[in-house]
Amino acid sequence: MQALPENQRTKSAADAGLSAPLFLGSPIFSARDLSKSFGPVNALKHLSVDFYPGEIRAICGENGAGKSTLVKILAGIDRPDAGTICFDGKVCPLSSSIEAQRLGIAMVAQELSICPDLSVFDNIWLGSVDVPFLPRRKELRRRAAEALRLLGAEHIALNTTVGQLTIGERQLVEIARMLTRNARVFILDEPTATLSDSEIDRIFVALARIKREGHSVIYITHRLAEVFKICDSVTVLRNGEMVGTVGIAAIDRKKLIEMMLGRPFVEMYPEHGYSAGDPLLQIEGLSVPGAVNDFSAVVPRGDIVCIAGQVGSGAEDVVRTVAGLVYNATGSVRVNGKPMRLGSAEEAFEHNINFVSGDRAEEGIFRSLSVTDNLVATRLRALSRFGFLNPNSLRAEALRLAARAGVDQRRLRARADDLSGGNQQKLAFGRCLGGAQAGLLVLIQPTRGIDIGARAEIYQLMHGLCSEGYGLLVASTDLEEVVGLGDVVITMYRSRQVGNYRGKAINMQDIMADIIHPLK
Amino acid sequence: MNSVGGRASEKPASVASRLGSMHLDKASLIQGIAVVAVVIFAVSTPGFLSTTSIRSLLTTVSFVGCVAVGMTFITLSGNIMSFSIGASMSATTIVFMASIALGLIPALILAFLFCAALNGIQGWLIGFFRANPLIISMAAYSMIIGSAVYITGGRGVYPLTNKADILTANLGPIPGPLAAFLFVAIAGQLILSFTRLGRNIYLVGTSPRAAKAAGIEPWRTVLWAYVAAGLCTAASAVLVAARYRSGDMEHGIGYEYHAISAVLVGGTSIRGGEGSVLRTLVGTVFIALMQGLLILRGFGIELQYLLIGLIVLAAIMLQWKVRT
Repeated sequence: MQALPENQRTKSAADAGLSAPLFLGSPIFSARDLSKSFGPVNALKHLSVDFYPGEIRAICGENGAGKSTLVKILAGIDRPDAGTICFDGKVCPLSSSIEAQRLGIAMVAQELSICPDLSVFDNIWLGSVDVPFLPRRKELRRRAAEALRLLGAEHIALNTTVGQLTIGERQLVEIARMLTRNARVFILDEPTATLSDSEIDRIFVALARIKREGHSVIYITHRLAEVFKICDSVTVLRNGEMVGTVGIAAIDRKKLIEMMLGRPFVEMYPEHGYSAGDPLLQIEGLSVPGAVNDFSAVVPRGDIVCIAGQVGSGAEDVVRTVAGLVYNATGSVRVNGKPMRLGSAEEAFEHNINFVSGDRAEEGIFRSLSVTDNLVATRLRALSRFGFLNPNSLRAEALRLAARAGVDQRRLRARADDLSGGNQQKLAFGRCLGGAQAGLLVLIQPTRGIDIGARAEIYQLMHGLCSEGYGLLVASTDLEEVVGLGDVVITMYRSRQVGNYRGKAINMQDIMADIIHPLK
Repeated sequence: MNSVGGRASEKPASVASRLGSMHLDKASLIQGIAVVAVVIFAVSTPGFLSTTSIRSLLTTVSFVGCVAVGMTFITLSGNIMSFSIGASMSATTIVFMASIALGLIPALILAFLFCAALNGIQGWLIGFFRANPLIISMAAYSMIIGSAVYITGGRGVYPLTNKADILTANLGPIPGPLAAFLFVAIAGQLILSFTRLGRNIYLVGTSPRAAKAAGIEPWRTVLWAYVAAGLCTAASAVLVAARYRSGDMEHGIGYEYHAISAVLVGGTSIRGGEGSVLRTLVGTVFIALMQGLLILRGFGIELQYLLIGLIVLAAIMLQWKVRT
């Protein structure tokens, strides 16, 4: 046992004038002088932080700042190279996640950790130390149902196989699992990345309840609006070091971003207006069984059309259909006035439609191939003569595309895996920009899991493309992005189209209402 | 460089990539040591440096090598391996020998078309219906053997002609089969490196979903990868048929195992998307050398099997080690 100084701050935090104590009482959970390196990479450098009961603490920072490393150590998944972790004032070694669970630490990891072939019930209790060798299912069922009810997810039956649920519902199951754990510290690593706003609201209600019960919540997110909505304080990390911890009342959005970036912030969404160019893409009466019902839209040249909708609303399916990836879609899609056959990615490609997937790791890029290979992947047809390729022209094309998308040209030989999320997304963009003529770009969640700095660059890139004459069709669940980015916003709710907003008529309230509970 | 957002997080990544290449170097180091050890072993083995033993080594390498190059296409395209490739090779020897009466060229054309079609159909099933490649090839194996034995009545084909003998003749100082194998290997590597099909095989092998999102139809690529594998296998089939002056369902037995061993020992990734014909070449020579040496040193067939099994196991473990 070891007494610890309260509210010990790192030197840099003290320098920044952020050292005022925020909370009275003793921390429930604290880390002292944590260091962790992966090979020669220092992911965490002498980091100290305290968490208090009855508090929701946000942890913010750009990609690579060390957020996930920190919470993985706090949840006993990774072990620190140096430093101590104290729970309730006692030093705990935290050598495994089982031990963390026994202490009362529960976590929802960034990646879904769910077994698709098991039922919701089984998944909720999977890995719980509370389940005895011969469990009393009735009691466990009651508690599982209770957790789902807290999240407003009563409609998910306990016997359903998880594989049948949408990604958002799976995430809810995972959060329900966390709620059943009788924990005192709840760690959530980007739990809302795949959720729609109404689902997020339900999670917030559950988190507020945890807080009222006197427990501690550690919340990692890229969405700053969430920080200001539910968190009491925010800890900012940068390059594995502590920048500071501040009460939410003492900071605003701009200051928070500047803390994360370590430099002044430039406005994220460039000015832009509806330009009403020639119609590049015309969709009429598009339907996908079980996903989209009679969708129609026009994407003019030089504009960004956003389809806003919750996960499962059909917005993503519209975009996937236009990209030629949905085999059972019906309806008419015209590109530059020419009709396009649906269900063939090659056909879409020939109409100069390029697709940037929301699932970057599995679909957006080729992770184990080089930056060059990724950039020229869509250009092979154009660059080959009778099926033969010239390595020099491939290299030249990769250089050109890297420059266009803002990928560091010195890293053309690096594996795509080794790039940050933001740069990987630039790769996914880069390979779409090879065509001689400006075409149509269709995107799903173009900035999912990307830090603020890279996000601003990607928005700028998108607007740059508009001025070159590209048309963009974007499906997004991020309302801030939809409102900030869209020249036209179409809202969707449960497979059908609800509203259509243009220019000044685009506003957060109406769009939010449309996608959560439309009156129309 | 730090003035642009998102770059700060790049430093660790670049170091990690260097680290990755270090790991790779470690793997190639182990491979290098293994090759050097085998060469020392070879030179110190009495009777190895004789023309007869080297000729027989090169012949084995040529026969297995062609099939292994074909298997490389299948493995690279993300479809692990084909169990049926030995059976389709046997069937092709029969087709070749049964049609040799039409003349060498027509028989060659028929043999290549037959083997390409046999594998192409499997490729189409695997690509288009996303069927499991191992199951499809096992089913194909059974069906090929079944139909071949039904049609031939279980007898081999022994034509009384020497029209195919030219395939075993020497090309200057180089034995004919070796020349044919070198041609197949060089052509295979050129296709992989410098054609759209080759690039597409790497892309599809890395991730079919990502390839589809990039406007490539994975099924078409997989189909052509299998056709390529069929053509390579046909090359081996006609060489073997010419050498034994017969077509027989026994000729191809075990070739699928030797071929996949060569691919894996060479270091082509079983997950697809990573590897080359060059690596397969190294793997083929390595395994053939080991086998030859064991024979020369008087060890039995059982020990050969044991040792090859161990080498393949080591190759797979090494791949796993490098990845994690």
